[in-house]
Amino acid sequence: MPILEARSLSKTFRRPDKASGFKGAVKHLAQRKYKNYTAVDGIDLSIEAGESVAYVGPNGAGKSTTVKLLTGILKPSEGTVRVMGRDPHVERIANAHDIGVLFGQRTQLWWDLPVEESLKLLKHMYGVSDADYKRRLAMFDDLLDLGEFMPALARTLSLGQRMRADLACALIHDPKMVYLDEPTIGLDISVKDRLRAFLRELVDNGTTLLLTSHDLADIEEVCERIVVIDKGTIAYDGPITQLKAHYITTKAVNLYLEGPADVPALAEKFPDYAWAAGEAPSEVTVTYETSRFSTAGVLGSLTAQLAPRDLSLSEPSIEDVIRRLYAGELTK
Amino acid sequence: MSSLDVAFATVTFKRKIAYKTTWIFSVLFGGWSLLAGLAVWSHIIGDGEIGGYDWPAMRAYLIIGFLTATLAWSGSDWEMANRILDGHVAIDLTKPVDFQRARAAEYIGGMTASVPAAVLGTAAACLIFRPAPPASVLAAALTIVSVLFIFPLAFGISYLATLTCFVTQRFLGIQWAKDSLVAFFSGMMVPLALMPVWLQGISWALPFVHFTTTPASIYLGRVDTAGALGLLAAQAAWSVGLWYMGRLIWGRLVKKVTIHGG
Repeated sequence: MPILEARSLSKTFRRPDKASGFKGAVKHLAQRKYKNYTAVDGIDLSIEAGESVAYVGPNGAGKSTTVKLLTGILKPSEGTVRVMGRDPHVERIANAHDIGVLFGQRTQLWWDLPVEESLKLLKHMYGVSDADYKRRLAMFDDLLDLGEFMPALARTLSLGQRMRADLACALIHDPKMVYLDEPTIGLDISVKDRLRAFLRELVDNGTTLLLTSHDLADIEEVCERIVVIDKGTIAYDGPITQLKAHYITTKAVNLYLEGPADVPALAEKFPDYAWAAGEAPSEVTVTYETSRFSTAGVLGSLTAQLAPRDLSLSEPSIEDVIRRLYAGELTK
Repeated sequence: MSSLDVAFATVTFKRKIAYKTTWIFSVLFGGWSLLAGLAVWSHIIGDGEIGGYDWPAMRAYLIIGFLTATLAWSGSDWEMANRILDGHVAIDLTKPVDFQRARAAEYIGGMTASVPAAVLGTAAACLIFRPAPPASVLAAALTIVSVLFIFPLAFGISYLATLTCFVTQRFLGIQWAKDSLVAFFSGMMVPLALMPVWLQGISWALPFVHFTTTPASIYLGRVDTAGALGLLAAQAAWSVGLWYMGRLIWGRLVKKVTIHGG
C-alpha cells in the first residue's frame, strides 16, 4: 500500500481580475471581478514507503501548491489525498505527527529566540522523549554541524545555518514522510553538498522523501524517481535513469582542430553526424545518435581522419531534458 | 492546561522580555496615560462627584483602568495577524497542535510578561495617589478574579480580529477598529456611567465592558455581591463564547486558506 496516494487532485484559486493603473483600481473598487486559476489540475501521484521522489517544474507550475495539498495545509478543490491512510486536511493533527515539512522560503524557527529553544518547543509538540531528542540532536550535529549555532538567535543565523536548523526542526521527531520544498535555495556550494549528503543518508535509512527543487543536482544526487509538473499537470513520472535513457539519445564530441573548421565540408564528409561550429574558429561540435554509433567508433574515425589537437565528450544533462520537457518538445 | 500550552506561553514570555526597551516604554506610556487621566478628571470632578464617582473613587477607577489596559494591550495581535498575512500559517498547519490553542497560549504568555509592570505600576500608583479602598475584602478578591478574566477575553477578541486577515489581507484598520471599540466600550476612555443610557445598554451587551467597567464596579461596590457574581459569570460566558466563535470561524476559514508563493 502506498504511503501517499493522490487521485485527480486539483486546486483552483480565485484571483482578482483587475485592470492596471488608477482607472483599473477604481473600477475594481466599484465592481469586483475575479478569475479562477487552476494551480493543480487532476494530478495522480502514488509514492511507496522508502521512495525518494523529486517533484520538479518551472516557476508557477503548481509544485508548492501540491506540497501544501499533500501536507494538509490546503483543502483540495477536487480529488483525494491519503497519507498513511489519512486525509491530511481533515485529520491534520494526526497526519502532522508523522510528517516533516520544510519550506525553504519560510523558517519555522522562532525568530528572536536561540535555535535550541525552537527545537525544545518542537520536542514538546511532537512528544519526543529526552533520549530520542538527545540522540537526534547528536546526529544532526554530526551531519549538519548544528552545535556551533544552537545558542545563537535565529535572526542572527546565515542562510545556510538557518536552513540546516530548519531541516533539524523538520526532522526532530523522526517523521516517516518528509516534504522538502526548495531546501537548498540560496545556499552556497559547500552547504548544498552537505545538505545533499544528509538527505541521501536520510533516504538510505528508509525515510520517504518528496523533494521539490530548481537545482537539478539536488534531484540527481538525492532522488531515484522524478515527477515533472507543468501547468498543473504531470508531464513525466518515472525513474530518473529511465528519463535519461529515454530522452538522452545523443552524445556530442567537441573537437579542437589545428586550423579553422570548415563545417559544411565536414558535414559532407561525415553525413551521419550533425555538425555545428564551436565558439572558436577551430572548434566544432559533432553530435551522433547513441543507438546507431558507439562512442569508441565515432572517436576512432574522427581522430584518425581529422587528427584534432584536443577533444572532449559531452552528453545532454538531465537539466537539458527537463528544459525540453517544460518547453513541450518532449512528450511522456 | 498541558505542558505544551506552558511551553508555548513560556516561549512568548521569553520573546517579550527579550525586548527590554519596548517593555520599559510600554510601562512609561501606561504611566503617562494614568497621570494624564488623573490630571483631567481631577479638574473635572474637583470637590464634587460625577456619575457617582467622587475624586477618591475616580482615582481608584483610573488606577484599575491603568492595570487592565496594561494587561489588555500587551497581547501580540500583530504577531498573530502576521502569521496569516505572510503565510506563516502554512508552517503552523504542518504542526501537530491545535492552531487556536497554540495561539491562545502564546498570547497569554505575552500578556503574562506585562504582569510585573502592571502590578508594580498599580502598587506605585496606589501608594502615590491613595485611591478609594475596595468596598470589602470580598469585593477585592472578586476584583482580582475579574481582572484575571481579561486574559481569555483579550485573546478571544484579538483572535477574532486577526482571523479577519484571511479575508481583508490587511490588519492595520482592523487593529485600529478593535482598539477603539475596546477603549471606548470598556470605559477606559470615559466611565460608562457618564454615557447616555442607551449607549450604556449597548456597552453592557458587548464583551469590551468587562475589561475595565466590570472590575472597577466590583472593586468600588457599585454592584452588590450577587451583581458582582453575575458580572463574573458574564465574563466567563463571553470567554467561552468568544472561544467557540473563534473555533467556528477558523473551521470555516481554514477550508479557504490561500497561501501563495513557495
